[in-house]
Amino acid sequence: MLARNVLTSCRRQQAVAFPLSRSLATEVSSDPSSSAAVPPIRTKRLPRPQITAAVILNRAPIITPTPTLFERAYYAYQARIRRALHNPFPLDFYFKQGSLLETKFNMEEKKRERRAFGPKFKTEDEFVSKEKAAADKAAADQLALQEGEAEPLMPRVHEADGNRDYHSLDRKGKRNIYLLLQTKVDGKDIWRFPQGGVEKGELLHQAAQRDLYAECGENMDTWIVSRNPVGVYKEAPLDTSTPEPNPEKITFFYKAHIMAGQAKPNPATISDFAWLTKQEIETRVEKDYWEGVKDILSDF
Amino acid sequence: MSSLASSTRSVVRFGRTPRITRHLRKDRRTQLPIPHVPILTREFAPCRFQDHYHTTLADNAMYMTYIHEPGPRPPPRQIRLTYDPNDPYTKNRYNPPVGGSQLGKKPPPPSRPDNVVRLEKISIHSMQKEALASKSNLLGLIMALRTITGESYKAGGRHTAEGIQIVRGKKSVGGWIRPGVPVGVKVDLKGQAMYDFLGTLVEFVLPRLRDFQGVPLPPQSSSVNSPSAVSGVVSFGLPPAAMGLFPQIEVNLDAYPKQYGMHIHFVTNATGDRLICIMI
Repeated sequence: MLARNVLTSCRRQQAVAFPLSRSLATEVSSDPSSSAAVPPIRTKRLPRPQITAAVILNRAPIITPTPTLFERAYYAYQARIRRALHNPFPLDFYFKQGSLLETKFNMEEKKRERRAFGPKFKTEDEFVSKEKAAADKAAADQLALQEGEAEPLMPRVHEADGNRDYHSLDRKGKRNIYLLLQTKVDGKDIWRFPQGGVEKGELLHQAAQRDLYAECGENMDTWIVSRNPVGVYKEAPLDTSTPEPNPEKITFFYKAHIMAGQAKPNPATISDFAWLTKQEIETRVEKDYWEGVKDILSDF
Repeated sequence: MSSLASSTRSVVRFGRTPRITRHLRKDRRTQLPIPHVPILTREFAPCRFQDHYHTTLADNAMYMTYIHEPGPRPPPRQIRLTYDPNDPYTKNRYNPPVGGSQLGKKPPPPSRPDNVVRLEKISIHSMQKEALASKSNLLGLIMALRTITGESYKAGGRHTAEGIQIVRGKKSVGGWIRPGVPVGVKVDLKGQAMYDFLGTLVEFVLPRLRDFQGVPLPPQSSSVNSPSAVSGVVSFGLPPAAMGLFPQIEVNLDAYPKQYGMHIHFVTNATGDRLICIMI
């Protein structure tokens, strides 16, 4: 009984301490004095803002970043420790005794050990006759040739980088690159992301998809990452001298990935397009636009 | 920078053996010197899938799971009466928490840069029914998993590396299992080993697997509070035929007594309803 009384007293105190309230995202300020003092002036209402959906079409890196000098030293050191400490490799489990594959593996392993521990490592362990060593090497080379190991790897720098071919999707393989379009606005060439208006009753992410295809052609396979915009940009008003207030221009950005194909912009409206990294975008777009989009773009 | 380094000394080549200036104790059994510092192995090569996560997937995961909250969250509603801490009579009394399963009831933590969905570990386990008759039947399975994952007990001097672990029966079910009997093996992969396994899986195994239907997600109709819906774990199984598709095993498939299937769990840090399947 006592405990119950205590609990009810607790409840009463709590109810006083925390009055029931809901926090709303937009709170209506109900200050009667201010509304009474200032009679509502019938000003001209601002026109509805113009909403645009823009797509930041991204091509993700296709090759790994080049390790820095420090990273290379670190990885070599760690690989050496690992090689020194690893459990003995069960040769007889993986290879048939005296098979060609085993010979090849042993030769390669010796090469890797010399690279890790210096040229003097394990030089005097077992003696193999010269004829046998030469025959082994020839057989291993033959095997490597059969398996196509001699084929050269693709270079890490594509020829599009050398040619400064900004239309190529193969340029800057280590970086995230983005599609930028060049259009004429008021007789001035500007660079911007693919964009377009939003129709009535259309959702923003659907508008973004439609506008992307309308401006860049159907010849590509894209994926819009989320239904939420990743950024917003409000254009600064051009001139405030005119008595008629300009409608506010708001652009919502969506992130998208290009999976296949290539952009083929409509030549009637788009004069040029380019796949650019973040740093290259900064040099082309207007300063105001850059401030709006720079945090959306990836530094990698 | 690299030309400067190559002109002076290569950073990746072995220089010379360091002179041992300090007396090292010797292992009594092997007569090998014991280093006076614990030697650990860490990442020994750049990891392609990890790079891919950081350059591409992390951004996407953040955009897909972000929930906008206009302000700080209100304190949780107290639905149970609490003892008054200011009252000396009830000051130190224990306030029992609300009972019942809280699974999926709590809202997910607010979206922050540090809790973007990421892969924490991959857990593989497999049960071998024949091990009930003789536990030596597990040896082939252990060897196969060691080959696939490259994990071993305290590998690389890490005390957290548990390697392949034996799973023993917990319950007694007549005619099926008894407590304490080894029936299966499991292995947890983290870090570079995890990404290496993922790379092997998605590049060698899954594309060559016959009638692979994709990774099943819990159906839309399943309860939003069920463990599979809120735990952030994506699971699927591989049939025994898939074992032969791992390149480490493909080279000498005959060396294994039979092929084994396995269950694979991708454990992410997602909680609540923010479950996301990051298949690359």
